[in-house]
Amino acid sequence: MRILVIEDEIHLRDQLTQQLQKQNLTVDAAADGEQGLYLGLEYSYDVAIIDLGLPKLSGIDVIQKLRSSGKDFPILILTARGRWQDKVEGLESGADDYLAKPFHFEELSARIHALARRASGWANSILRCGPITLNPSSQQVTRDQTVLDFTAYEYRLLHYMMLHAGEIISKTELVDHIYEQGYDRDSNVIEVFIKRLRRKLDPDKSLNPIETLRGRGYRLTLARAH
Amino acid sequence: MPIKQFSLSNRLLIAVSFVLTAFLGLSAFSLNNAFQASTDSAQHQRLKNHIYTMLASAEFSEQGEVTMSDTLAEPNFTIPNSGLYAQITTGQEIIWQSKSSLGLFIALPNHPGPSNEHLSTIELHTKDKLLNLAYGIVWENEQGHHFNYTINVSEDLNAINLQKAKFQLNLWYWLGGTGLMLLIAQALILRWGLRPLHDVAADLHAIERGDRQRLLKNYPQELNQLTQNINTLLDHEESRRKRYKNSLADLAHSLKTPLAVFRGELDNSSNITEVKDIGHEQLDRISSLVDYQLQRAATEGHSSLQARVSLGDIINKILISLDKVYQSKSIRRQFEMERDVFIHADEGDMYELLGNLLENAYKYGNKRINILVISRLDNVDIHIEDDGTGIPKHAHKDIIKRGKRIDTQVEGQGLGLAIVSDIVTAYLGEIKLEKSHLGGASFIVTLPKQ
Repeated sequence: MRILVIEDEIHLRDQLTQQLQKQNLTVDAAADGEQGLYLGLEYSYDVAIIDLGLPKLSGIDVIQKLRSSGKDFPILILTARGRWQDKVEGLESGADDYLAKPFHFEELSARIHALARRASGWANSILRCGPITLNPSSQQVTRDQTVLDFTAYEYRLLHYMMLHAGEIISKTELVDHIYEQGYDRDSNVIEVFIKRLRRKLDPDKSLNPIETLRGRGYRLTLARAH
Repeated sequence: MPIKQFSLSNRLLIAVSFVLTAFLGLSAFSLNNAFQASTDSAQHQRLKNHIYTMLASAEFSEQGEVTMSDTLAEPNFTIPNSGLYAQITTGQEIIWQSKSSLGLFIALPNHPGPSNEHLSTIELHTKDKLLNLAYGIVWENEQGHHFNYTINVSEDLNAINLQKAKFQLNLWYWLGGTGLMLLIAQALILRWGLRPLHDVAADLHAIERGDRQRLLKNYPQELNQLTQNINTLLDHEESRRKRYKNSLADLAHSLKTPLAVFRGELDNSSNITEVKDIGHEQLDRISSLVDYQLQRAATEGHSSLQARVSLGDIINKILISLDKVYQSKSIRRQFEMERDVFIHADEGDMYELLGNLLENAYKYGNKRINILVISRLDNVDIHIEDDGTGIPKHAHKDIIKRGKRIDTQVEGQGLGLAIVSDIVTAYLGEIKLEKSHLGGASFIVTLPKQ
């Protein structure tokens, strides 16, 4: 899952980036409205966290421009003043949730995951597909109560595929959502990751959780359990 | 300022002076004209009368000669150079002239014909000017012979002109005097009339210097609305200033407790986890305190000078926002309002008040929220109820206690409701907490419309 953070306060931005990365999320950070808008328009994100008081281009303007360009990923706004008028203005311009500063990171993390789930049609905070469960807040993956072990990128890939279980996902889309901006993107790596995922999720080859659609991408075939 | 603005009194003074000057000038002009016309016509009439008197005392012989009885009513005819002259001519021949005209050569050329008259001004060789009336008569003798005569009567214009000049001089003295008096009177009236304005200015200046808190009460009706509004504004500013001061003082005081707790923990505890926990706890408390006092300081509060805001608009916008945020709860909300209600209040305050109450309803409600706005004559009632677990009866009093310092509490509903309570108080309204028939809490806020 790839997150866009637009926050001008350097310490808060670094903290957020680090904490989100610790949760195995892909994070791009921008220090002002213009840079943030550029990233938001250029790449596809799963959630954006936007501070309302930004230099160069205000948070409200960034949200409005993103929405009017057809970007529909969930947006969470951060407000320093916590005034209701600001919150309502932000939500009216296209944001989906708000959080007043200062906040607990756990709260922010819960809101982000909730927004991502809501956008991809999940109701519960723990994602369940067949015998596989993934808990985004603890980043724990189990199969039939057995905890499975994944590397960071494998986890990111699985998280994204489970969020979009049942949908066809192209290699480019996968690359987009698990790698940070500027990372050397080699879509052949995806094939390797998928192979490893299959092996770890389904060692005895009884489940066949991921299907390959030639030239189109991959699909997690396990049914969502709500 | 490129052009210096004229003061009110100067404007009035200049304008009225112009009007006065024009009025007096026109008056002088028309009075003078009227006087001239009347003296002219009086003189004409006098000359005519002389002619009739002469006709009455003239004797015409059969040969057409004229003899005048010596006793002409007007003695001036007999005094030489008296300024009143008479002559009777027939053709170019003078057949009679008054004694006054002896020695003067007066050639009176006009022969207007029988029963006609001709008025003219003639100049003598002495440069004196005379006004002359020529009157033609026909005398018929026993044989039916007709004799044509012209009677001329002249009067020296000097006397008349002197009279006119005297009148004009008089006129100018009088009008000038009247004008001057009117100007002085007008200046005095202006001073008296505009004094309240000067008083207001002096009053405001006194407020500026800090000698006074508000404007004095007794002003003329026309200024009352203005001074009342200024007073309202001053009161509003004063109460806001007090709120600022209070919340700043409260903030400083209330921050001391969590700081002391944390310092004590740092000094005494060697358990890093414990210190961290206490630190987090106290930081949260500090953050809430800052939020609360900041909001309190920012509250505009009640003032009749505020523009009207639409409650319907604000509630709808907040509801749409909250629907988005609490989408996963799929709350069914019902918002009832007969007609849109407008109240004189700060928009930000209303957002804060309604936002906090409505968010609590979304947060603590289960599936249903009812909002009802009832507009009364002077007040508006806002009911917000939910179907949550509600608030225990014994806690009701604490939660909506007015101006309660939240140094110690602030959990969950606390902060939002403390802000709500403060705003309601600042608007001289009331807040009640009841049990909703939906099962949860029911807040009833009453706000004055003005």
